[in-house]
Amino acid sequence: MSFAKNRFVIGLPIIALIVGACGSAAPTAAPTAPPVTAAPVTLPPVTAVPVTLAPVTAVPITPAPETVAPPTSESSASPATSAGAKDFSGVTVNVVTFTGPPIAEPLQRHGAEWEKATGGKINVTTAPFSDLFQKEATDLATGTNSFTLYTMSSSWLGSFAGQGYFQDLTSLVPTYPGLQWDDVVPVMQSNSSFGGKIYAVPFDSDVLSVYYRTDILGKDGVAPPKTWDEYLTIAKKYQGKDLNGDGTPDYGSCIEKAKGGVGTWQFNGVFSGFVQALGTKQGTFFGDGLTPLVNNEAMGAALDFWKASSDFGPPAEINLDQGTGRGLMTSGRCALNIDWGDMGTLPLDPTVSKVKNVVGAVVMPGSSKILDRATGKLVPCDATTCPNAVDGINHAPFNAFGGWIGAINAKADPKAQAAALDFISYVSAPEQSNPDVTTGVTGEQPFRVSQQDPALWIKAGMTADVAKNFLDTYIGASLNGPNAALDLRIPQANQYTNVLEDTAIAQFLAGELTKDEAMKQIFDGWQALTDQIGRDSQTAAYAASIGAK
Amino acid sequence: MMNPLRKRTVLDLSPRAKVGAYAIMIAWAIVVLFPLYWLFLTSFKQPIQFTGGTYYIPFVDFQPTLDNWKYILVDVGSDTYRPYINTIVVGFASASIALVLGSLAAYGLVRFRYRPRVGVIALGLGCTVLAMIAIVLGVPPIVAAASAIVVLFLLIRAVGKRLSAVRLGNRDISFWLISQRMMPPVAVVIPIYVLFQQLHLLDTQIALIVTYAATNLPIVVWLMSDYFAAIPLELEESASVDGASPYRTFRSIVLPVAVPGLVATFILVLVFAWNEYLIALFLATANAATMPLLVAGQVATRGPQYWYMSVLIVIMVVPVIVMAVILERFISRGILAGAVKG
Amino acid sequence: MPPASVPSNGTTHLTPGPAPSEPGPEQHARDQARSTDEWRNPRRARNVFLWPALLVVLLLAIFPLIASLGLALSNVQLAQGGFTIKFTGLANFNNLLFGAERNIFLGQFKPPTILGWTTFIGGGLLMAYVLVRYLRSGRVSALGIVGRALGIAALTAFLWMLANTLLGDGGRPGTLTVTILYVVLGTGLEYLIGLGLAWLTIQHLSGQRFFRVVFLLPITITPVGIAYMFRMLTDNQSGPFAPLFAAAGMSNFSVLGDPWGARLAVIIGDVWQWTPFIFIVLLAGLEGRDIETEEAGLVDGAGRWQIFRHITLPMIIPVSATVILIRTIEAFKIIDLPSVLTGGGPGTASESVTLQAFQSWRAFNLGSSAAVAYSLLIVVTIVATAYARLVLPRTHRANA
Repeated sequence: MSFAKNRFVIGLPIIALIVGACGSAAPTAAPTAPPVTAAPVTLPPVTAVPVTLAPVTAVPITPAPETVAPPTSESSASPATSAGAKDFSGVTVNVVTFTGPPIAEPLQRHGAEWEKATGGKINVTTAPFSDLFQKEATDLATGTNSFTLYTMSSSWLGSFAGQGYFQDLTSLVPTYPGLQWDDVVPVMQSNSSFGGKIYAVPFDSDVLSVYYRTDILGKDGVAPPKTWDEYLTIAKKYQGKDLNGDGTPDYGSCIEKAKGGVGTWQFNGVFSGFVQALGTKQGTFFGDGLTPLVNNEAMGAALDFWKASSDFGPPAEINLDQGTGRGLMTSGRCALNIDWGDMGTLPLDPTVSKVKNVVGAVVMPGSSKILDRATGKLVPCDATTCPNAVDGINHAPFNAFGGWIGAINAKADPKAQAAALDFISYVSAPEQSNPDVTTGVTGEQPFRVSQQDPALWIKAGMTADVAKNFLDTYIGASLNGPNAALDLRIPQANQYTNVLEDTAIAQFLAGELTKDEAMKQIFDGWQALTDQIGRDSQTAAYAASIGAK
Repeated sequence: MMNPLRKRTVLDLSPRAKVGAYAIMIAWAIVVLFPLYWLFLTSFKQPIQFTGGTYYIPFVDFQPTLDNWKYILVDVGSDTYRPYINTIVVGFASASIALVLGSLAAYGLVRFRYRPRVGVIALGLGCTVLAMIAIVLGVPPIVAAASAIVVLFLLIRAVGKRLSAVRLGNRDISFWLISQRMMPPVAVVIPIYVLFQQLHLLDTQIALIVTYAATNLPIVVWLMSDYFAAIPLELEESASVDGASPYRTFRSIVLPVAVPGLVATFILVLVFAWNEYLIALFLATANAATMPLLVAGQVATRGPQYWYMSVLIVIMVVPVIVMAVILERFISRGILAGAVKG
Repeated sequence: MPPASVPSNGTTHLTPGPAPSEPGPEQHARDQARSTDEWRNPRRARNVFLWPALLVVLLLAIFPLIASLGLALSNVQLAQGGFTIKFTGLANFNNLLFGAERNIFLGQFKPPTILGWTTFIGGGLLMAYVLVRYLRSGRVSALGIVGRALGIAALTAFLWMLANTLLGDGGRPGTLTVTILYVVLGTGLEYLIGLGLAWLTIQHLSGQRFFRVVFLLPITITPVGIAYMFRMLTDNQSGPFAPLFAAAGMSNFSVLGDPWGARLAVIIGDVWQWTPFIFIVLLAGLEGRDIETEEAGLVDGAGRWQIFRHITLPMIIPVSATVILIRTIEAFKIIDLPSVLTGGGPGTASESVTLQAFQSWRAFNLGSSAAVAYSLLIVVTIVATAYARLVLPRTHRANA
């Protein structure tokens, strides 16, 4: 008897008082910051960072003295000294990244070098990868500010950059000694920026490609796939064949479709080829008024491919995670897969690979039909609808995850900020990153024009042909592609893609939802989320994220 | 079991039953040990031996390597060492605190009668909410908390006597305690984070110790209540008659008899604190990071690094197993029998 | 309820009864103590026993509970210099029960099959029987009726959901049903196995210390580690059972690719992991009991099963009831195994409620995450309250 009473009596006042406390949008802000009721996303005209194919020769620099931290004077005083050559004695830089070795390893290794050169101190703190976003978001939002330098996916920048958490580096980075900003490929310059301002220094890139077995396909005279239909044809041809000579049947295609894994990125890499044709600034995910482009024939085609390819993959491909999928590919058990640039260097590592120099790359396949955004139908490609098409096929290589970048806490001590910028510039500078990107363990992918030099890659163990093929595909056609598609980079991007879209796709693959139901579920989920966050602010953020005007 | 005076008892099985008992126990032991063997094996495999096929016996069908052990213990040894110490400190400290406070409370709830006044609880809640509102409106948290406590105290002094109409009982207190375990941690971890941020205790062992002690207390209270309730009252009554205080009765009569329960409970709360992940992820950043963070961290962009993870899990369970081996002997009948008879 | 049983039946002599003048050993103790040390006053002593624990729990419980309720009723956004909390009322719950997340949380509703109708009507009849029996018992009170009405409403809603989803024609269970399935099957199996093992390991057999430690092992491993271990074991490419599947011509079969296979794998992992919890609690209970009654039973010629059934089992019923309650409450929060094994898949087949909350939480969608968590809290509270009201008084009366 007294139980019920207990809970009732305790429960009522709680509810009453909470309603009272939270009523009428009472703001609860971080104690260090004044309450703000809405996130104003400033949207200045995007002029600073060109996102086009044109080689970046001159990035307009807008000197903004009020945002410039003390280091400017130092760096301008000695323009000849490059990153890692100044004196930062007694300055500590707290870096947060995920538990390595990838990404954490180069940061720690270069951290020790940088400490020796500058007298500063680098503390690298790691968190499990899957919880890093939440950890950084909580740290920044509550004003804890435990770190000076935050490493992150460039797609998270949309959640953080508009909130004033990070220092504006627009006036510093382009001329920072040793960093060689002009050498960074345009799409990574863009991925390090938000709303026309530079907030981070990139030391990685992430674009998807299709990887294939050159030995197997070459023997049969099969050309790598240009469209997703061709991909299916090739996958079907090799499904059940022995591809590594061990006598067991292998698989035509290995796509890591595990729920909660990397599948949504790869799916969006398929999807983008049906949706985006007019260049990077057209965007992949939303139309006018932030209407999701996910309930139409383009999404339908991508879902059809997703389901069809499961027939030519390992058993229960719906549970294939990235580690297992890459293990299958490098042990020679797959003819095709979709992957990041890791698949360029992983085959070179003898501890994991049996396929050294027989893995080739080809730009993400596309489609001869493109979405008409007005009608939701797929229409044939022509000069107007697909200006960037090659041989009538539209490709939109997808910058999934968008590369690791380092951003600097705006609340940190100015000296530490200067040291952090110097450190991340040191990591990013060609002297350090050029060897790093050719080494599998670092987890870094090429992100600089100078890294297109085959000599680096031949030194790392590639043959000249493999190196040329990889670099032409990865940097030439994909990163520098005129129609490169950017990952979703707006506030709560993770909730849009990695939660709502991911769940619906998983349900579709498992047969819980039909294709139409899945598309409608994503559409409704995205609309509801947008309305919940605020349609105007999200619209502005989306425009800023793709560099559209 | 060790009592030499005991003749054939209910605990002696017939030969046929013995065979059956052994068969079942060995079967379950295999169920338990095989996955652990596989884990142990994995810690000696190279990645390609892991993904490339199925290998069961080192030296026979694959060549084991110490690379993974070297990587964890030497190459990144300093990153392993600190969480290891933290886990040990946090685990033992929080389990001890939870056991001491929880046993006291359990004994209280078994042997005394509590009549908390609903009105006082409501007052307390009201003051808490008011303090929270004040904090939201910009009052420093320490000031708000202190004034809430003062106001509560004064209110109880002033009107407390009139609030005695509706009272709760022991079972309500117990139920409230266990209800603290009902909420999934994911919903409360951010508020807990903010709480410790305000106290400037983030990334300290203290924060983890206090949190684990508090979250494990209800389990101690519930389990120990049952163990205490099973103790014959005559023991305590005789002590009471002899003039011993409740504390002394508790310490010298009750606790010794309850050793099996205490040990079992201690092992359980130790293990809970030892293995907790989500709260540690938030309250600890670098200095106070614990081992579960390291284990989970082996799942990165390259997929789970099972070989490193296995090494970490193996070194992580060793202290707990040692504890279990040491403490197991106390979960046995001989001790209780001796205490009761003596 | 363990602590309540003793005071409420009034047989405890140490208990200060409602009437302070009632004589008893406690009175003696108080008289003696007063003269020496005021601090030893039992009245104060009972506060000294209870309050330290209460304070520690209060410190960490109240604020997070209120704050997370606030979160569940709001939308949290990162914002200029910090974050904003916008009060949105029941929008998060509305989304969960009637909006986009409905088909994940509650499942896909389709007309019940015959089995569905049978279950629903059977459950209804059972409830009616229990209610009638209660009304005739002569111990009816207003609060009792209200409590039972609430319980019946909750159970009816659950049965209706079950009949339409799991037992619906083409329906599919949501995370709530799947979680309840995990709780019922997992806790049930764990109790049976744990009790059996505990009973076996108190017998006079050599090697018992070894078995006790071995049986305890699984619980010592960090849950996320166990989950990855089971993923290794269920891998049909490189796991230890892969050759078995290959030999059976099933190398293309994946346990985790099948909805029931995935759920079963989660339950097996859960049983492996948590049986030691029940095992060690019951072991301590069995070792702590007085065996003289059993000896007497043996002398009187009772069989082993009769002794276990009528003497041993009743003695550990109270601690059994407690450990089942604790394990049930913990089992509702299951997350690591489904998260690691399948991410909740295939589709949402093996997803638990906590995993659903966790996915939103990871994307910093704190409001909807807290709403899912609070919905679970409500369900667990109903279940635990019913258990504490209906089961514990009986089990603990038996002991006292």
